[in-house]
Amino acid sequence: MATLLRGALRPLRAFQGRGQPAADVPLRATSHGTGLLYPEHIPTSLLQKALLAAGSAVMALYDPYRHDMVAVLGETTGRRTLKFLRDQMKRDPEGAQILQERPRISMSTLDLEKLRSLPEGSFGCEYLRFLDVNRVSPDTRAPTRFVDDEELAYVIQRYREVHDMVHTLLGMPTNIPGEIVVKWFEAVQTGLPMCVLSALFGPIRLSAQSLQVLVSELIPWAVQNGRRAPCLLHLYYERRWEQPLRALRQELGITEPPVRVKDLV
Amino acid sequence: MSPAGRRHPSNEATRRAVWRRSLDCKMAAPRSWALWSFCCCRLSRVMPGCRIPGLRSSWPRSPLGARPLSQEKRATETHFGFETVSEEEKGGKVYQVFESVAKKYDVMNDMMSLGIHRLWKDLLLWKMHPFPGTQLLDVAGGTGDIAFRFLNYVQAQHQRKQKRQLRAQQNLSWEEIAKKYQNEEDSLGGSHVMICDINREMLKIGRRKACAQGYKAGLDWVLGDAEELPFDDDKFDVYTIAFGIRNVTHIDRALQEAHRVLKPGGRFLCLEFSQVNNPLVSRLYDVYSFQVIPVLGEVIAGDWKSYQYLVESIRQFPSQEEFKEMIEDAGFQKVTYENLTSGIVAIHSGFKL
Repeated sequence: MATLLRGALRPLRAFQGRGQPAADVPLRATSHGTGLLYPEHIPTSLLQKALLAAGSAVMALYDPYRHDMVAVLGETTGRRTLKFLRDQMKRDPEGAQILQERPRISMSTLDLEKLRSLPEGSFGCEYLRFLDVNRVSPDTRAPTRFVDDEELAYVIQRYREVHDMVHTLLGMPTNIPGEIVVKWFEAVQTGLPMCVLSALFGPIRLSAQSLQVLVSELIPWAVQNGRRAPCLLHLYYERRWEQPLRALRQELGITEPPVRVKDLV
Repeated sequence: MSPAGRRHPSNEATRRAVWRRSLDCKMAAPRSWALWSFCCCRLSRVMPGCRIPGLRSSWPRSPLGARPLSQEKRATETHFGFETVSEEEKGGKVYQVFESVAKKYDVMNDMMSLGIHRLWKDLLLWKMHPFPGTQLLDVAGGTGDIAFRFLNYVQAQHQRKQKRQLRAQQNLSWEEIAKKYQNEEDSLGGSHVMICDINREMLKIGRRKACAQGYKAGLDWVLGDAEELPFDDDKFDVYTIAFGIRNVTHIDRALQEAHRVLKPGGRFLCLEFSQVNNPLVSRLYDVYSFQVIPVLGEVIAGDWKSYQYLVESIRQFPSQEEFKEMIEDAGFQKVTYENLTSGIVAIHSGFKL
């Protein structure tokens, strides 16, 4: 803690009294336009990241509806893992293409007409059904703010936007047990600390019955599939809308879930 | 006051802009006059003993004298935290900040100041020492903290006065005794507080709090701009503005309005963040302000940027002495200030005499 404080104080020594901060103080001056790596970027010091990580973890547990806190936890704790994921993506041909072209998934980039016209059972059609049934939209994802590398910021943004695809592939709804199953899957696949923490601490608020089903059947199934499937961040989903969902699942080695998660509370 | 010797450490342009605008309010001089006076001012600085006819001796407050024409454009810019924005923009941006923080305003105050803001506000009331019958105007008083404390204070004062009267029973008149039986007496003794704020959301939260805490009588809520108050001259006994004046675009105008609406003998009180005088406390305060407060804002309120603005706006506010001079310029007398918590907060007080 002392070293963190010293690290934070060093640039502040240049800032005496009032007025504009000195040029070497990145914290405040750069949050207003200059030195931003991407539009939503908020530069933060190590101390701030540590406080954010701790605070967001507590708040996410306290109020499970604060999805932005889960996002912040992911951004502040995932630096090393994101680098590893990015390098892995570069080695995979499809992943490298994604990194180069930087596709984004939002209501404005999705061609909804085309997706609706796709045949029943195709990935695009099933994805749209998932969005309608669970009443979610790809626009509710918070933009990345606290990652201090522009490429890594894209990787974590892609991870967030692909989360709904993972739901579709696994056939999991967006209730709490469904989210936990997906988090276990993602934890095994990506190793992001936020996924691991959510997977371990998410079930705290569940009833004993749901917990029992989760632990005995769903989680082992998710872990097994997670290990077997290639990393889902490498898939260029935008080119696979027409592919039948069943074929896609077979390609990735994902089996049907053992239990209907909708019946769980 | 010696304008020539005053030092502006940094943010020179902003300081000059503020002074120039304060001159503007008083003078409204036509351009030709300004240009001529500018030349005269230059001359009088070169030859200090020279008396130039027509030049009012009270006029050159700023070391620059008249407003040079080329700097007019720069004068319409101001600070928003550490950003530079135009004056028209600032009002809107500040409005947005408070609109988004309104719901969590009180929680965040407690979190950020670790509850100490309650002590600061209590100290402001103690300093005010209002007696029953005082007419208070609380500007930027959105969520009502000062107003509620004022009502509690005058109510307690009134009750104490009544107890004293009861003890000396023989001095009570028949009317007073009759009123007591009818419970018609005003528990506040005629005191009233007008809460004025520019932000609708803050007033909404304040009204909700008043209902919840049972404050029904003696207070009114008004939507208004501190730079242009919707009240007549010479109306109030006390004017307070707690943690609000640093968000005003033209502080000098707000001070002038304060002077206008106060009765002669009225008191101006301002509770505001100020300059810390202790170097160790200052460093810790800086670390806390810039490292911890935006994080708290993000975690508790989901809003980093508003709290970043907040801590930056504190740094942009003039020091205790400078603000004291600004208050004196608005026409207040016997202006004093008191530092609280090593200068993190200061209470400035002035009288309209």
